[in-house]
Amino acid sequence: MKKSALFLGVSVIVAGCASMTSGPQAIDWNKIPATKVTLFYPGQSSYEWLRSEAHAGAAKETARGDACVSCHDDPKEEQRQGSKILRGNHPLEPTAIAGKKNGYVDLAVQAAYDDKNAYLRFQWKTQNPYPGTEHQYLRFDGKEWKVYGFPKLDKVVQEGRQPGIYEDRMSIMIDDGKVPGFAQQGCWLTCHDGQRDMPKQFTKEDVAANALLTALKKSDVRKYLPETRGNPSDWKTGKSVEEIARIKEAGRFVDLIQWRAHRSHAVGMADDGFVLEFRNGDAGKDMFSGNADSKTHQPKFMWDEKKVGYKSITADQLRKGDHFLIREQNAVPFDPNAGWKVGDMVPDYLISREDAKGSAAENNAVASWKDGMWTVVIVRPLGLANSDDKTLKAGGVYNVGFAVHDDNITTRGHQVSYVKTLGIGAKADITAVKLN
Amino acid sequence: MTKQHIHSIILSAAIAGLCLSTPAFAQVDAEEIFKENDCHKCHHPTKAKKGPSLAKIAAKYKEKKLDEKEAIKHMTAGKKVELDDGTKEDHKIIDTKDVAVQTAVAKWMLNR
Repeated sequence: MKKSALFLGVSVIVAGCASMTSGPQAIDWNKIPATKVTLFYPGQSSYEWLRSEAHAGAAKETARGDACVSCHDDPKEEQRQGSKILRGNHPLEPTAIAGKKNGYVDLAVQAAYDDKNAYLRFQWKTQNPYPGTEHQYLRFDGKEWKVYGFPKLDKVVQEGRQPGIYEDRMSIMIDDGKVPGFAQQGCWLTCHDGQRDMPKQFTKEDVAANALLTALKKSDVRKYLPETRGNPSDWKTGKSVEEIARIKEAGRFVDLIQWRAHRSHAVGMADDGFVLEFRNGDAGKDMFSGNADSKTHQPKFMWDEKKVGYKSITADQLRKGDHFLIREQNAVPFDPNAGWKVGDMVPDYLISREDAKGSAAENNAVASWKDGMWTVVIVRPLGLANSDDKTLKAGGVYNVGFAVHDDNITTRGHQVSYVKTLGIGAKADITAVKLN
Repeated sequence: MTKQHIHSIILSAAIAGLCLSTPAFAQVDAEEIFKENDCHKCHHPTKAKKGPSLAKIAAKYKEKKLDEKEAIKHMTAGKKVELDDGTKEDHKIIDTKDVAVQTAVAKWMLNR
């Protein structure tokens, strides 16, 4: 590889979020207390499973709204549960995921704030001896460009027909106390049978016949909050768009911030979404978009050879550099007559800080991977007034859930936390310290 | 295979045999077995949860002069237990038929 495809300088990130003197680089994190939060592999422990007899001795308690930690309160609970589920032959994980070893992840969480922003710093060790910055590609097979690389839970990876390639992620769910049950059961309120990679997964026909998902123009089933369904345990029983709008207006949704090691990290950002009737993106535009032309399936952009030394890579170059395709830095429109050979690959996603707009573009991030550990600082503005955001403010206490996706996986293949509290200068499990 | 290799294998097998013949309870981490079986979700060392605390159970056994055999019956029979709210549930059965392991867990519980 002649040059790196990434021209990601600190200046680029900082330009978008804060100055060197006041931004996350200026914070002396040694002075900010760290809270260890252990995340564990939940497998298919859906909202429905938790309320079934399979959740031995706890179905009734969960249904009446008891907190997970009212029973799961042992200091080593997360280690034990996650390891059990990944050990093999566990009813909550029907798929043997090749190489998946980490039933739990120790996450160090630090928080600080100033007049403008909250700074949330996360550190965790990755299972692999490399950062999970690669994401899916478009690969030329001699005739067509086809997606190359899939998350490890996908059948094509399970059967060895595709390699496992998917970005690492660090996610935070935030509730300001308005979502019934979130303070007790956290992220598990949003995880349901019928979703991708969950029991009784949806079919295309089911989705096409569903009034709510059709109205939303969605083609699959993702996270949702119980209140958005007539029967919370049946994704098909969606309420009307008008009823859901009223729930949103009342603030009964959770914010979902996802730092993505490929699709947002490359431009110093974290995405911004919310969970209500679906896992929605905030209004505006994300920092990433699909790079495949919907009609021709050809890439829309390729690398600028003049800047990075190549217009594509091949599979043997994976994990040997930063392979981000950034519109304003190293991308040019795709040339179908550029002498493509079998095995040439360009990223399946185009990334752009300049294109990110609106509420979807509010969160910034600074991240690095060193000696097997990610360090990610998410910068969240205080006082956001968008209708799809939870407003963080000094003195506020929020219910939060954390998740890490590690080792080329998505959907349920994460490690998650029991619900915690985050206080912005207020007493909580994790208290953000005021910066001078 | 050399004589040394054969001796080495015989010695390893002898050591392995010795280990396997050691009474199971001597190697049992009773607390870990208790938690692996999720017993701790209902029985806290000192606080009442869904079930009585281990301290309360131990005190009751002491008062009634019951021993670990009774505790083993309780953890293996799957009998109905009455909860604080008056409802009844089948008690969970420990996931081992090894009496030595059951005994170790019972003793550990009754010594809280």
